[in-house]
Amino acid sequence: MIWRITLFLWIAAAMTFGLLKAPLVPVLEETTRVLYFHIPSAWVTVVALGWSMLHSILYLWKRDLRNDDHAAAAAELGLLFCIAATVSGALWAKAMWGAYWNWDPRETSIFFILLLYSAYLALRGSIEGDEKRARLSAIYSVVAFVAVPFLIFVVPRMYDTLHPNLIVREGGRMKVEMDPMIRWCFLAMLAGFTVLFFWLQTLRVRVTRLERRRQLARG
Amino acid sequence: MPNGGSNSAAAVWAVLRKECRSEWRTLYGLSAALLFAVTSLTAVSMAAGRLADRTDILAGLFWIVLLFATLTSMSHAFVREVEGHTMLLLRLIASPTEIAMGKLLFNLIFLGVVELVLVPLFMILMGAPAPPWGPFLAVLALGTVSLAASSTLVSAVIAQTRGRGALFGGISLPLLLPVLAAAVNGTRELWGGHPIASSLRLLAAYAVALLAASLLLYDHLWED
Repeated sequence: MIWRITLFLWIAAAMTFGLLKAPLVPVLEETTRVLYFHIPSAWVTVVALGWSMLHSILYLWKRDLRNDDHAAAAAELGLLFCIAATVSGALWAKAMWGAYWNWDPRETSIFFILLLYSAYLALRGSIEGDEKRARLSAIYSVVAFVAVPFLIFVVPRMYDTLHPNLIVREGGRMKVEMDPMIRWCFLAMLAGFTVLFFWLQTLRVRVTRLERRRQLARG
Repeated sequence: MPNGGSNSAAAVWAVLRKECRSEWRTLYGLSAALLFAVTSLTAVSMAAGRLADRTDILAGLFWIVLLFATLTSMSHAFVREVEGHTMLLLRLIASPTEIAMGKLLFNLIFLGVVELVLVPLFMILMGAPAPPWGPFLAVLALGTVSLAASSTLVSAVIAQTRGRGALFGGISLPLLLPVLAAAVNGTRELWGGHPIASSLRLLAAYAVALLAASLLLYDHLWED
């Protein structure tokens, strides 16, 4: 209980400082503030999908359904955070680029990821039997994750994108020197979102297990 | 097991020959794919007209026609075995990896044959200028390898689900979108006379990654 309240206060404080106190980056101006929400969401998406793939591999290796529960829950949460990142990105794009959607390489990548993991969940829905579902969706999850590094790291760097890259270092130094206040708010949000994800993950996994137990009790 | 390497090569070869022979007997898959390819090409050609000077649009149309024409017939690889109740027998004579490798090679040949018809027809019907053939074939070949690798794996997964054929497109396309994006970009640059090294690298890397992941995963396709 105590750490849930701490997490709430932590995110609330970081968000408040980010929205009210932190200075703005030139050019981006007021839209700077989306970064405290948008980048942590995108980061959690990658963490969640990686977590899902890791547990898919563990399932194929150990054949323990608990791994499958983790893989499924992480994919669902990854999709949720991916939607959050997409929507906040689109709102930002409207303000900066003048259109919600423009098929910028970044937008294309995140849309492909949305499709990939929607397909994963659709596949799960179409397989009967816990073990079969776990095995086949684990196979798909691993293949799907093959595409993720291409989409996130390769494609946006190959094609011209207008997407700002505040935190990516180029040649060992920051392209844009980040203000310490921005950096601390941002890192605090990043940590907060990561903990939030793992908390939601344990909740989701517990719900799945309770559902399974109820089904078994019913026969 | 002594001679394991040559044994599994023989098994892969046997699966490939069996595939070719059963396809040759009915020509069911090939005729369906060719018919679909020609029909969808006709639809696109009639809707868009000749686009000789719009190579940027041609590149996109080419890959969309190719992808949709081939995807519909790619799901058969394993679905046919399940529907014909021959899957168990096939699994008795070869390991999952050998079966999947044989099917993968067959899919590659199959795609090659469809492309042999589709590519010239596309160029003629759409009035496309001749591309530099070397790089064009390189893009085509790398795209084909990714297409065959992903559809072999997805087909094996799909054959064990409730929806079977219905799900195949929806599950395969997201995996192939990076291929589509890179291939369209490469083809467009090619017609525009620009270098395509970066698209080729991306296509090759993706094809290798898909193949490597498939090879590791084939073993888990069926429960023993």
